[in-house]
Amino acid sequence: MPEITIDPTTRIEGHHGTTLQVEDGVVQEAKSEMKMFRGAEIITLGRPPTDAAQITGMVCGVCFLCHRLCSSKAAEDAAMNAGVFDGPPRNAVLLRDAAEGIFYLWNHAVHLFALVGPDYSDAVAGTGFDRLDPLEGDGYMGAIENQRKLMKALAEFGGRAPHPVGYVPGGLAIHPDASTIASVKSRVMEVSNWLGPTEAVPDVIENVQAGELDPELGEGLHDIVSILVAAAELGAADIGEGPNRYYSNGIFEDPETGELFLPRGVYRDGSIELMTKEEVVEGITEDTEYSWYTDDSGGAPTEAKPPEPDLDKDEAYSWGKAPRFDGESMEVGPLARLVIKDADPFDLRETLGGGADESNTLNRLIARAQEALLVRDQVLEWLDAIDPAEPFMADDWTDDFTGSGVGLFEPSRGALSHYMDVENGQIERYQIITPTLWNIGPRDGEGQPSILEEAIVGDEVDNVDNPLNILRTIRSMDPCLACAVHVQSPDGEFETEIEPARPGISEGGCDV
Amino acid sequence: MSTLSNTSRRNFLRLAGATAAGSVIANHSTEIASAFERASEGNMDVVWLQGQACTGCTISTLQAQYPTLEEALQQFRLDVTFHPTIMPEAGPAAIDAMSDEPDILIVEGSVPVDIPEAATVGRNPDGSAKAVVDWVMELAPEAELVVAVGNCASFGGWPAAQNKKRLYGLGDNVTGAKGLQFEKRSAGGVLGPDFTSGADLPVVNLGGCPPNPDYVLLTLATVLNGHIPELDRYHRPKPFYEPLVHDNCPLRGYFDRGEFADKPGGEGCLIKQGCAGPYTHCDDMSRLWNDGTSVCLNVGSPCIGCMEPGFWDRFSPFREDIESAAILGNVSATHAGAAGVVAAAAGIGAHVARKAMGYGKFDDGGEPPENEGPPGNQGPSDTQDPPEKPESNAD
Repeated sequence: MPEITIDPTTRIEGHHGTTLQVEDGVVQEAKSEMKMFRGAEIITLGRPPTDAAQITGMVCGVCFLCHRLCSSKAAEDAAMNAGVFDGPPRNAVLLRDAAEGIFYLWNHAVHLFALVGPDYSDAVAGTGFDRLDPLEGDGYMGAIENQRKLMKALAEFGGRAPHPVGYVPGGLAIHPDASTIASVKSRVMEVSNWLGPTEAVPDVIENVQAGELDPELGEGLHDIVSILVAAAELGAADIGEGPNRYYSNGIFEDPETGELFLPRGVYRDGSIELMTKEEVVEGITEDTEYSWYTDDSGGAPTEAKPPEPDLDKDEAYSWGKAPRFDGESMEVGPLARLVIKDADPFDLRETLGGGADESNTLNRLIARAQEALLVRDQVLEWLDAIDPAEPFMADDWTDDFTGSGVGLFEPSRGALSHYMDVENGQIERYQIITPTLWNIGPRDGEGQPSILEEAIVGDEVDNVDNPLNILRTIRSMDPCLACAVHVQSPDGEFETEIEPARPGISEGGCDV
Repeated sequence: MSTLSNTSRRNFLRLAGATAAGSVIANHSTEIASAFERASEGNMDVVWLQGQACTGCTISTLQAQYPTLEEALQQFRLDVTFHPTIMPEAGPAAIDAMSDEPDILIVEGSVPVDIPEAATVGRNPDGSAKAVVDWVMELAPEAELVVAVGNCASFGGWPAAQNKKRLYGLGDNVTGAKGLQFEKRSAGGVLGPDFTSGADLPVVNLGGCPPNPDYVLLTLATVLNGHIPELDRYHRPKPFYEPLVHDNCPLRGYFDRGEFADKPGGEGCLIKQGCAGPYTHCDDMSRLWNDGTSVCLNVGSPCIGCMEPGFWDRFSPFREDIESAAILGNVSATHAGAAGVVAAAAGIGAHVARKAMGYGKFDDGGEPPENEGPPGNQGPSDTQDPPEKPESNAD
């Protein structure tokens, strides 16, 4: 059976490769290989809980904010469980949500334009639009300009972006005044205006199909719809079909009611099950059968130690672990969130994507666009609800406690969870399970493939030198590997003799 | 092919010397654009590799703003033969596109040498994954200029942070993550202390987690214009990395009056919240981030020292007063701390007492030698370096 190797994937974050077994031009089996590790969980141990947010925040320079906030939530949860902290102030809850909402807009725009967009640019041009030429198109230029405005908005609160420093456990270092909040709002509104009015979507679809642009209806909207229409015409709804099982931790909590704007739970067997935080945490386990770790390194993340490397496993092919919910693989990300919210604005997934709850390459893109539209107005509301006269940082935040906590979060890419055990102010145990692990990790001990591995099987490879549809599916999941493979560490026998500063060390240096 | 030459530094200094907030890039946008354009016409090949990276340095670079950024980016992208995050190709086609004799090699992320498999890109002829360290060793000797973007590529950065619990018998540096020419503050790194690129320069280090985007574009524009940047002892361009954060801090008045905050964001100087400003060199306090929007200390956050070699462990625990943690090296921490407290209590300008003891030079053990600079093979020795922050609870 011919084997095709794609390495590197490119236009994603991080080091990733895919090995495909192909017969008669159809993928029979896929292995998703994660190719970098650094040791974040190991590095986090022995440090104060507050430092975990700093360290894990810099696990990824693309989704920097979410790890900072998720780690902060884990530390705050542990401190609350220890009885030494009452929770972050209302202003901090609102501002963190507004910031993450701004981040959604940023990430979705960058993904659709710069990472996924080029996969469809020929077809976009075929619709009469040359705005999305990935080198010279006005659409790309506009997207680059507008992503900067959103990053500036994040920098107003965080000091800089990427890797802002103002968001800390206990609340926020910054105490923004009304004019700073107004400045952030105006930046978001500028981008919102570039995007265009939500209600214009049906008219914009008509315009795009006719090869026309009405700037009044939003340049950004026209560009994004162009990508969606082009992807639909290329058959993206018929590739990358997942198992229609979804999981979301929920996000954007109303500080008064506790209600989540995007709810928490799972979708399986055709129905939505909303869940409590505890129910979600109880459902999660990790498996290491096909990972370079000892078999007992998996299990429940509330108990497992950082995984112990085991390089003598012939079947292993990834530095990622295989997280499962009640033993099943689960797709995470914007599509999962909107399915669990039961939202399909303008019936785009129903009409273009083959069904609102269907997991496929096109629906992942549509959901990303829909979510950007849903969230952008909320961002302005959350900003409006902030009262600059009230505190942003809790007075009772402390690092010095003994306790355990869990942070559940929903970065743009999907469900993220951090788990922290603290003893006398020092981290004793740390675990992170990232969205990319859920979507593109390896198979588990039952032989169950990850979402990506399952989604690719059955798809055609029309050009072995450029398996474009496979790449379209991989990128539809917006993988981000820096944070997915954060825990690993080799044992002694894995070391290779290296003499730095001498060229020609490659011989035998890499044989995994 | 190369436009590099050992000519004057005038242009670079002019580009980088003025640091009015947010205006530098705008003032020099035409020069930068033309530098990239000329490089493009001259078929200047750029390869941007990622080792143990988070892509934050790439994302940071995309935040640079001046009127013709998009034009420059167009040129830049056309001639970047390899950049995993933005290039159109994938798989073997991406590897084929990569120049094997790049004029400029840019590396983002640390390079693991104890476990080369900790970062791989593409395959070896035998089908095994090809380690980034092998790419670096192959490409660096061919390059006219090698630039380490970010603290990880420069000094080892985040992946080189301590394994404090010594878990599973692993080493202090879990994967053996190094910078290209340094490991923390020790000269050496992956390429060794004697490495020089085709332009007779050591690796140009743009420290920072991430570096300011201006540092990246201005440095590249400078060398594309044929000028050599003047480097400090850690091979960082002096105009960016000479100013001391503490000297330009918006909270400096509090420090002078001895008024200290009891938590981040609190009223007062943040030095007792672990601020690394007195030990960190960069011009971000005046340059600011995100086109002049803000900077760390403007949002009540202590400086974390990300521009410096030895970041992370040198400045962590991040909330702990660095002076209490005995980071002062050859200056007595007790003495300095006591003097600081006395001065602060008296409210008569604690910085005067500290300056007398040479703050800002603590990490150097004094002024660097006069003749230090490119090719800069006189890397600092370990014996000069002050200790890392002690572990508060060694086990």
